[in-house]
Amino acid sequence: MASPLLSISNASKTYGSSRALIEARLEILPGQVHALMGENGAGKSTLIKILAGVVTPDSADIVRAGQPVSIHNPQDAFNLGLRFIHQELNIVPQLSAAENIFVSLPYPRRAGFLVNWAKLHADAEQVLAQLGIHHIDPRQQAARLSPGDQMLIKIASAFWGAERAAASVYVMDEPTAALTGDETERLFKVIRELQNKGCGVLYVTHRMREVFEICDMVTVMRDGRVVETRPIASTTPSDLIRLMTGRDLEQAYPPRTLPVEQAVTLDVRDLSTRQISGIHFQLHAGEILGVAGLTGAGRSELLAALIGAERRLTHDVLLDGAPLPPLDPTRAWERGFAYVPEERRTQGLMLSRSIQDNITLPHLQRISRGGVFLNRASEKRISTEMGKSVQLKSTGAEQITRQLSGGNQQKVLFARALVQTPRVLLLDEPTRGVDVGAKYDIYTLIRQISGRGAAVIVASSDLGELLGLCDRVLVMRKRRQSALVDATGMTAQELLTLCYDEAG
Amino acid sequence: MVSTQAQLGRWLRRSGTLIGFIVVIVYFTINIPNTFLTLPNWLNISQQISMLAVVAFTMTIVMVMGDFDLSVGSMASLAGIVAALLFRDSQPVLLGVVAALVVGLIGGLINGVLVSYIGITPFVATLGTLTVFSGVAFLLSGGETIFGRDIPADFSTFARGGIPVGMVNERPLLFPNLTIMALIVFVIVWVVLEQTAFGRRLYAIGGNVEAARLGGVRVRLLRLIAFMLTGMGAALAGLMYASRVASANPTQGAGLMLDAIAAVFLGMTLSEEGEPHVAGTLLGILILGVLDNGLTQMKVDSYVREVLIGAIIIGAVTSSSLNRRGR
Repeated sequence: MASPLLSISNASKTYGSSRALIEARLEILPGQVHALMGENGAGKSTLIKILAGVVTPDSADIVRAGQPVSIHNPQDAFNLGLRFIHQELNIVPQLSAAENIFVSLPYPRRAGFLVNWAKLHADAEQVLAQLGIHHIDPRQQAARLSPGDQMLIKIASAFWGAERAAASVYVMDEPTAALTGDETERLFKVIRELQNKGCGVLYVTHRMREVFEICDMVTVMRDGRVVETRPIASTTPSDLIRLMTGRDLEQAYPPRTLPVEQAVTLDVRDLSTRQISGIHFQLHAGEILGVAGLTGAGRSELLAALIGAERRLTHDVLLDGAPLPPLDPTRAWERGFAYVPEERRTQGLMLSRSIQDNITLPHLQRISRGGVFLNRASEKRISTEMGKSVQLKSTGAEQITRQLSGGNQQKVLFARALVQTPRVLLLDEPTRGVDVGAKYDIYTLIRQISGRGAAVIVASSDLGELLGLCDRVLVMRKRRQSALVDATGMTAQELLTLCYDEAG
Repeated sequence: MVSTQAQLGRWLRRSGTLIGFIVVIVYFTINIPNTFLTLPNWLNISQQISMLAVVAFTMTIVMVMGDFDLSVGSMASLAGIVAALLFRDSQPVLLGVVAALVVGLIGGLINGVLVSYIGITPFVATLGTLTVFSGVAFLLSGGETIFGRDIPADFSTFARGGIPVGMVNERPLLFPNLTIMALIVFVIVWVVLEQTAFGRRLYAIGGNVEAARLGGVRVRLLRLIAFMLTGMGAALAGLMYASRVASANPTQGAGLMLDAIAAVFLGMTLSEEGEPHVAGTLLGILILGVLDNGLTQMKVDSYVREVLIGAIIIGAVTSSSLNRRGR
């Protein structure tokens, strides 16, 4: 049995009254891809931050290649051959791929002061080749590379920097979140190359499929503790979900209890913007319509058009039977549309403001005295009530949203959308980056809202979610509406095929 | 539950600037015992800072959105010139005052259109209008100072007048009109920013402009209005200045802009998230005024005063941001 590249045990961290990590232990062997799973708040990121030297643990025994070590800051982690790859890539977009790979070094020189570009590019190609990457041109500007290729450049940069250290350990946190299917496959190829070279990979993800495709071992955390560590070969997705939540797989999607109504709430006869075209569908009260499609197919753009955030080129829409003029977001909210955008941090929330301010923002006209003067008592009451209805966990309506977890931040946006039961609820990736428990809460909430007569549109890249939740699915392909199908009985395979092909 | 110790610690960190202010007052009281902590002195301070206060309070409105208005100093000069020219032409005081305020509104409108509808960053746009307004002021005035009999007595006595609040050395002690003006502006800005939906929406724009837009805030329109209000505030300050010195010249408002921004920044150190707030701006103004007053009375060289005040501003903002990073 080979000795571990890295092992951490007895790791604990308490923040005030909250025990984020309790005697956690984890071991990574050479050539192993080790999955780390658990709900948000389970302790995964605290554990990783300890390894990265960003957080000082209350206690932790770390052993690297047989030697006990301590990690006080990121430089220590770096010197120990630990490399961290996050979703948010920190490449320099203006520099070329080659420059990004060797970003921490001086340029190779010729005649003392001229940059030896040829050598730089040749070296870059060599590093990429070692990882089995042949399709990236090192001279290409990093900003022009796809997110997938940017990720590969980041790994190449980390790989090169570790040449002289003992075989490294890569910690990858949700690396495929922004990648297409093809790019994910390429990433996996590179990970397998890393495995062959004897490196270890700690792979943090919510995606079950990837865990079973690329990982050898899995460690599940819950409530700050390591619940179990098992080889992938001897476990199943339902096992893992049960370990993560204490709940069963069958309970992932709450069932529909009320029938879809006959009344057509939103009749879109023709809708197009500079981004998308060919949109036509009828949405009934109480119905949940999914929007599927590959990245860049136009899912988010469709919702943005409906809330009035993009200028419309054609607009033939009826709301409750009456013609609807093109609206801007202000009037859309007033007319009973509600919107939860894709990126909660950059598009949805004002992180420096309180929960109360965030929830009431589109509704100020109605809540304020005479539409002009703030009515804080009313705002507090409404926010607290809405917070309860979405099961928001916070210290109160005055808490700054920056301090909330991802799932709770998402719930604030839901609360905002529900202050008045909307006629049309637009949700863009409502459960992205949200843990399994909070996901279920959100699905239940969506069911409740549609039960009250609202028409709901859900755009999502998670096919399982679309099929589990929606009555019908609109498929976007290359920025045009390509199909509108019934979701009952459809498999994820079939839906994915529709996303790739023309229907009919 | 956060422990009282932690809460106290957080309060102390946030209030660093306030505590510093109190220390400064104590220092001056000790060193200038007879004149510093007296009513006449403080009324004097309040009058000195009243014009800067009006600019800083209205500047807070655009800074809440995360924008800047660098043109306020030039606008103050321009407004003063416009009023003075009308006075020289024997027009009634009221017309001169209204015209100056309208010029402020128009200047703000130009700023707002450049920023909101054309999309130039506020820093660059107002840098441009700063020069334009100043140029127009020079053009209109021919580069000259307008003073003396051209300025009506009614206008210039306003700044010297006030409400009697007591006697000193057998002369009435007045609560200055200029201070009253500044207080009125403070209350208006406070109500607008803190008690209206308009103000809340401005804070929303400052928090995250895209989220505000998608959340139903009319960003373009509100930005426009905010710049118009700031322009009008600058014009008012220009009028107050002209009244005070009974004259108008094209460079009169030159120092206002930087001091106003400094005051708002000092005020920002008091907020948990580093947001501008009109009460914080008030404290910033007081700090600047008190420092200037105290150092002058201690006969500190005026250049040394400038260096000292600049250093204190840097110190306050730095310590506040260090505290924030340490969290």
